[in-house]
Amino acid sequence: MTYLSYASPVRVAPVTAPQRGQSEYADGAARTLPIAVYGNRWCGLTQMIGRALSRAGLDYEYVDLDEHPSVEQRLQMLTGGRLRTPVVYVDGQWLVAPSIGQLRTALMRAGAA
Amino acid sequence: MDALQLVDSFQPPADERSATVGSLDEGTVDRGARDGTGGSDVRDLYRTAPEMRGERVSTGLPVGVVAPDLTLPDKDGEPVTLSQLRGRPVALVFYPLDWSPGCSVQLELYQQEHEEFAARGVQLLGISVDSIYSHGAWAAARGIEFPLLSDFQPRGAVARDYRVWREHDGFSERALYLLDSQGVIRWAHVSPHLHHLPDFDELVAALDLVAESATTRPQEVTT
Repeated sequence: MTYLSYASPVRVAPVTAPQRGQSEYADGAARTLPIAVYGNRWCGLTQMIGRALSRAGLDYEYVDLDEHPSVEQRLQMLTGGRLRTPVVYVDGQWLVAPSIGQLRTALMRAGAA
Repeated sequence: MDALQLVDSFQPPADERSATVGSLDEGTVDRGARDGTGGSDVRDLYRTAPEMRGERVSTGLPVGVVAPDLTLPDKDGEPVTLSQLRGRPVALVFYPLDWSPGCSVQLELYQQEHEEFAARGVQLLGISVDSIYSHGAWAAARGIEFPLLSDFQPRGAVARDYRVWREHDGFSERALYLLDSQGVIRWAHVSPHLHHLPDFDELVAALDLVAESATTRPQEVTT
């Protein structure tokens, strides 16, 4: 079962393999994809997203909301007190408690395909 | 990028439901919808289900004792006996109920990361008080492929043996026991709160432990 596979079946081979934290693009270029995850270590969805990103070889910034209560308060305010976690940022896109498929879609939109 | 600063630009999706539906592999959902075993609507009920919160009321069995034997039916009604699995490590995952809400997608996480268990030869077993029929529907809807055992009648008898029963609630703690190939508990975790999962990195380290553990003289469990 594939959980996070966004590699295009037809793509230009890069000169060098992408490094961890970088995404391989269709044109063979590589750059760091800005990704942030705001969640809780005890949260299953947070763990699923984190593991899926790691499995895909993508680095991300992780903000633990238990350790940063002011960030959680900010997110609560911005969601009208209806915050669901994790909140995930992928290169300009904000996702709230996304599925693995939606994360994959966001990564594809960001050009990681 | 500074994630702490970035949060100020957060904008929740206008149609959050359409932007966030589901938590599992889409292929699983599509398959479930196609074959009639479960569509995305059923699968996503957990998003609006009542919260399940509560502090643990028991701390479970200690590490180093032989896990009590158990025989429980799986979703197909087939009995599974723990002692017949000797020779390989076992992960016993007690969880409160099928269809649980919010972040508590523990078994889905373990299904996603099933290779971490399989690569170490660890047999996963989920246990709750739900009926075999609930297990069957939930497994199909959520794409869970490892056995789910029904501690249904006498209700919670096995959870009591493992000292993770919540009498007031009528279901078990969220607890995970890792047994070595001799059936000895090598790692145990009873979540401090029902909706909390053990950290997966810590769990992987524990999986290494049971996969490599040498046998030592076990203690007998007394009740």
